[in-house]
Amino acid sequence: MIKLFYKFLKYYKDYRDLYFILIWKQFSVRYKQAILGVVWAVIQPLSLMGIFTLVFSRIMPVKISTLPQPIFFYSGLLPWAFFSSSVNYSIPSLVSNYDLIRKIYFPREILPIAGIAIAFIDFMIAAVIFIILLFLYHIPITWCALYFLPLVALLLLFTISFCLILTVVNVYYRDVQLAINFLLQLWFFATPIFYPIGMIPAKYKFFIYLNPLCFIIDSIRKSVIGGAPISPYAFLFMFCYAIILFVISFNFFRIAERKFADVL
Amino acid sequence: MSFDEPIITFDNVWKKYSKSGIFHRSLREDVMRIFSLKQDNLKLAGNEFWALKNISFQIFKGQTLGLYGPNGAGKSTILKLMSDITYPNKGSISVQESVAPLIAMGAGFHFDLSGRENIYVNGAILKMKIKEINKKMESIIKFSGIEEFIDMPVKNYSSGMHLRLAFSIAIHSEASIYLFDEIIGSGGDEEFRKKCFDKIFELKEKKKTIVLVSHDMEVLKNFSNRILFLNKGEITSEEVL
Repeated sequence: MIKLFYKFLKYYKDYRDLYFILIWKQFSVRYKQAILGVVWAVIQPLSLMGIFTLVFSRIMPVKISTLPQPIFFYSGLLPWAFFSSSVNYSIPSLVSNYDLIRKIYFPREILPIAGIAIAFIDFMIAAVIFIILLFLYHIPITWCALYFLPLVALLLLFTISFCLILTVVNVYYRDVQLAINFLLQLWFFATPIFYPIGMIPAKYKFFIYLNPLCFIIDSIRKSVIGGAPISPYAFLFMFCYAIILFVISFNFFRIAERKFADVL
Repeated sequence: MSFDEPIITFDNVWKKYSKSGIFHRSLREDVMRIFSLKQDNLKLAGNEFWALKNISFQIFKGQTLGLYGPNGAGKSTILKLMSDITYPNKGSISVQESVAPLIAMGAGFHFDLSGRENIYVNGAILKMKIKEINKKMESIIKFSGIEEFIDMPVKNYSSGMHLRLAFSIAIHSEASIYLFDEIIGSGGDEEFRKKCFDKIFELKEKKKTIVLVSHDMEVLKNFSNRILFLNKGEITSEEVL
């Protein structure tokens, strides 16, 4: 355990600057000729929130939950936007940097993780809007809102594991890149973003727990907006699930990494 | 480390590559591969070939090794193996100290960023710390000789300017082993060429270990202590100077 910690410290010391520079590079390249700049970070969740609110309150009025609709939708869209843009940024990261990979050694996971970091910056900006919305709709903030932080950690762990695996597979089968938009669309509907988790029939509950986004979104609604605590057992279960997935995906990446320069 | 211990050792190194441009094999084959415990590494599949066949040599600290041979002889593959970019199918390689792969010149350059911004990107990829880059910034710009254009996007650079900047960053990375891949003589004007040669002599004087790849026998003879002649993945002969 201590050895592992030292290894991590050394890794951090050796590559911190490279992480920083690559994130900064992608960030500045992305906004170089964009007038709206970082506003783009909140356009996606905000506009989807607007559309859902319009659809479910004017076009096809449905009572979805006791919460104000915009808040309900936004709380689902916020983690979703992070997840989907992480996937979109990280999956092509190895393939599009093949030139770099064939020329020099550095830990390859830096490329997809830097992509996720960019998505995380967007997420933090979008989270500020979330807080503003909470105040606008007079949602009482209780200490349960602090659950948000471990939930974000969980979201990060899952996203990194998932992206690492897909990024590797994409090196071998570019089909991933072609299929991912479609897959994300399916995943979007399979996640309780615009409907509450309670509406899902009991016999599908098992699949719900396979999809960690369900737990994360539902818990954000319960704790941050609803002011209720989350079951520590459910949390512990999800946390173990996340750690196992992370260890598997990271080792998978490490093994596959040695062949990247030959395959790309 | 004692002086007579080799700093780079290649021991019976074999490396194969696939001829097909894109990676392609069946899913069934992949699944089978996971379940087969023993892999016959020395067998070639239909579209594979040996880029290196049973290569063994040693380099000692402070030596300059030249690699000479026609295209496809395996010279660049040797440099890639030395810098950990790829790994051998059989045999072992040991590299005792840090490597500055000057084959990675300009790696990570982004054309929308300015020359100065790209110094940070490329520098970090070459394992420099941000502090170190800040400290070397003036010297890098000066050596490149493109002071007036340093804040211009790299997409507007001429190929010569591009090369100058890339070489200048690469040469500022600190290591004890330097790998040069055919950079001298390609692009760059006479004045810059001379600057590069001076730099290599300077590295030699500092007792750095250098591996040089070139088609130019004249250049190789000028710098190397030893030249390996390669052809079709094999060492055909060796010349000690």
